[in-house]
Amino acid sequence: MIKQYNIAMIGVGGTGILTAATILAETAIKQGENVRVGEIHGLAQRGGVVNCDVRIGDKVFGPIIMDGKADVLLSFELVETLRALKKVSPEGVIILNKYAMVPPGVSAKGGVYPNYQKVFSIAKDFTKSIFIIDALKLARKAGNPITMNIVMLGALVGINGFPLKRDLMKETIAELFRKFVDTNLKAFEFGYQELADKINEKQNKAFIT
Amino acid sequence: MRLIDKLLTDSPGKNVLLLGNEAIARGAVESGVAVVSAYPGTPSSEIGDALYRCALKMGFYMEYSTNEKVATEVAGAAALAGVRAFTCSKHVGLNVSIDTLMCLAYTGVDAGLVVVSADDVGPWSSQNEQDNRYYSLLAGIPMLEPSNPQEAKDIVAESFKISEQLNEPVLLRTTTRVNHSRGNVELGSLTKPKVYGKFKRQSNRFILVPSVAKNRHVILLKRMEQAKKLSEETHLNFIDGEGCENQKFGIITSGVSYNYAKEVINELNLNMEILKLGMTHPLPEEKIRKFLISHSKIIVVEELEPYLEKSIKAIASEKNIEVEVLGKKKGFFLRYGELDPRGVLSGIALATGKKAPLNFEKIDQKFELVKPILPKRPPVLCPGCPHRATFYAIRVATDGKAIYPNDIGCYGLVREPPLEADTVFCMGSGVGLACGLSVVVDQPIVATIGDSTFFHAGIPALINAIYNQHKFVYTILDNETTAMTGHQPHPGTGVTNRGVSKKVKPEDVAIGCGVEFVRVVDPFNVKEAIKTFKEALNHDGPAVVVARRKCVLLVLREKRKAGQVISYEVRPDKCTGCGVCVSMLGCPAISKFREKVVIDPVLCVGTTCGVCAQICPYEAIEVAST
Repeated sequence: MIKQYNIAMIGVGGTGILTAATILAETAIKQGENVRVGEIHGLAQRGGVVNCDVRIGDKVFGPIIMDGKADVLLSFELVETLRALKKVSPEGVIILNKYAMVPPGVSAKGGVYPNYQKVFSIAKDFTKSIFIIDALKLARKAGNPITMNIVMLGALVGINGFPLKRDLMKETIAELFRKFVDTNLKAFEFGYQELADKINEKQNKAFIT
Repeated sequence: MRLIDKLLTDSPGKNVLLLGNEAIARGAVESGVAVVSAYPGTPSSEIGDALYRCALKMGFYMEYSTNEKVATEVAGAAALAGVRAFTCSKHVGLNVSIDTLMCLAYTGVDAGLVVVSADDVGPWSSQNEQDNRYYSLLAGIPMLEPSNPQEAKDIVAESFKISEQLNEPVLLRTTTRVNHSRGNVELGSLTKPKVYGKFKRQSNRFILVPSVAKNRHVILLKRMEQAKKLSEETHLNFIDGEGCENQKFGIITSGVSYNYAKEVINELNLNMEILKLGMTHPLPEEKIRKFLISHSKIIVVEELEPYLEKSIKAIASEKNIEVEVLGKKKGFFLRYGELDPRGVLSGIALATGKKAPLNFEKIDQKFELVKPILPKRPPVLCPGCPHRATFYAIRVATDGKAIYPNDIGCYGLVREPPLEADTVFCMGSGVGLACGLSVVVDQPIVATIGDSTFFHAGIPALINAIYNQHKFVYTILDNETTAMTGHQPHPGTGVTNRGVSKKVKPEDVAIGCGVEFVRVVDPFNVKEAIKTFKEALNHDGPAVVVARRKCVLLVLREKRKAGQVISYEVRPDKCTGCGVCVSMLGCPAISKFREKVVIDPVLCVGTTCGVCAQICPYEAIEVAST
């Protein structure tokens, strides 16, 4: 049994965050775990910020992750990563999607949108373990840009010590998407592979230096 | 497992994942509910959605009523006639239905009546964050509060039981984080609904003239005395960690706050008794008294108003108990916004003199770097939303110089440039405010109200405008659904879960009431829409414009099934970077990059909309060549 594992998710409404959270939670139940998902509805499809906390384990009661207690921050949009940084534990992992969605307010006023070097330089003060992936590219490769959220889930499962079983996750995905199972499973595998490659890359670098 | 199967499977003991709201719906199904009525509103909507889908299969009746007051009358009538009934709304919905609920408390009910109030603490999706626990005091009816999805399901059965023991409606009060948290739920068994009732004439009960009302009030007060006994006995009010060594501190809490308190005492390595209250009106005074005398300091953890805190202090003072009550009054917790684990941890740490294991100040310090560069991302109208086109037409027709009272719904999101509104209050109030403004200002007024909101609360103000001849443009933003809350049907759709019904058209209502200027326009026909608004502005008296176009999300759902949606793209050779599309539409799919406009192919809905292509002065926006 898991004691407590906290996954903080953030991004922009309409990009499949709530679906991704549901897949995690359904998988947790299949694995016999206690789970809580804290989500906020109503504005989820309106391009607003979407926060979603998935918490697994015996010691979990409430739906919200305390600041500094997220084992993983899974960010579906580049700059939104910043908004959730308080949640991530110093020993935690950040997986962030390069994909940027500039809010209309910024474009209309000609404002500046932080680039990914900027985001990375701030995020690394919160944890050393950061993985940047291009989920949109991988989703397209899988056959549909809409599967970006599933690419993110694949990457999540790839991190060390992730407590949910990969096969069970795939099973849940297959049950959920009756029509586009293959595309989604491909997206999942691409995400998983991408993270595995990044981890290897990091280890090799460490070895060389 | 699909949601509908989770709601209808008769497999007691099965463990499934349910949203708090879905769990409440399942609780109603397990209780053999016979009549359900609702008007959708965040954070209550998924309860109605789930029951809407279950009704025919389970053999009970469920309707979306035009507003919460009517909904409460529908459910209330069923309970008077002896069948189990259930109604749910968001917190401000109870403001609309309270008149009826006050009467139902006096008449009492002959079968269980459960009224769910889903309070949007935060608020996340509402105009305020009122604490509806006070409504149970005001109406004098019992109130129950769950803390998680499992309790949310189980407490429905308990609510029906108590309602029938007392013959009074029960208020089931939840908050956003209970409604919208998902978790494990162990299912119970299903009960077949008893759907037919009998109405017995009882003039000394149902005709609330003053002489009857006087007597009914006395009866209600007697029933609340009975309710106190139930509150002492119920398993919903219990001590968690009973008998632990630390008798100095004790916690009293209810609802979602209970979870935070539990996690925090774990986190702080504290050992403490928690008096967890599931029935919060009337309170179990004797249970609380005993808890108070066995502790010297009581920490009260609750969201919003110091509802429990004040009652606890009153009990302490009445029973002469020396105990220190630490809550909102002394500043341990805030009286506004949601509680969260960090806030509860800080409060409990401060009260007990424990040090927080996490250095929150350090986290905050690091976050200071983030604040200045983090752009705001308010929710906006979706790409391809027809309301955007209507607002654009209104602004062009009025040259941006009118007053724009707005209302509750997706279109209420219009407040950031380039599309701005002037007021958003509560359901139907924009058109009422327009009536008043038209009397005192010498400026054109264009009010906007959604189709579902029109049926809910917009018609009395329309009739008022006709009767008193208020001159303004009354715009009905008709997207043929209740979009904001998840696309529920309404009278304008002519659809119910029992099949196709009668369609009520807003323009027919306006014509029938005697409005002289009534036009229906397609907002995606930009030129025509602008022309119509100009004509409406020239009309002497109330002018009604129905801007009708189906919600883009519904259209896309169909289109995506059929194949991919092809987006628009900008031809760089033609685009001069003038930015009219960016600055006048505020479409999330359009942005400016290095002096040229770009369209995000993932977000753009293509020919489903096409408004930007119509307004581009250089014809630089075309359907993408794929």
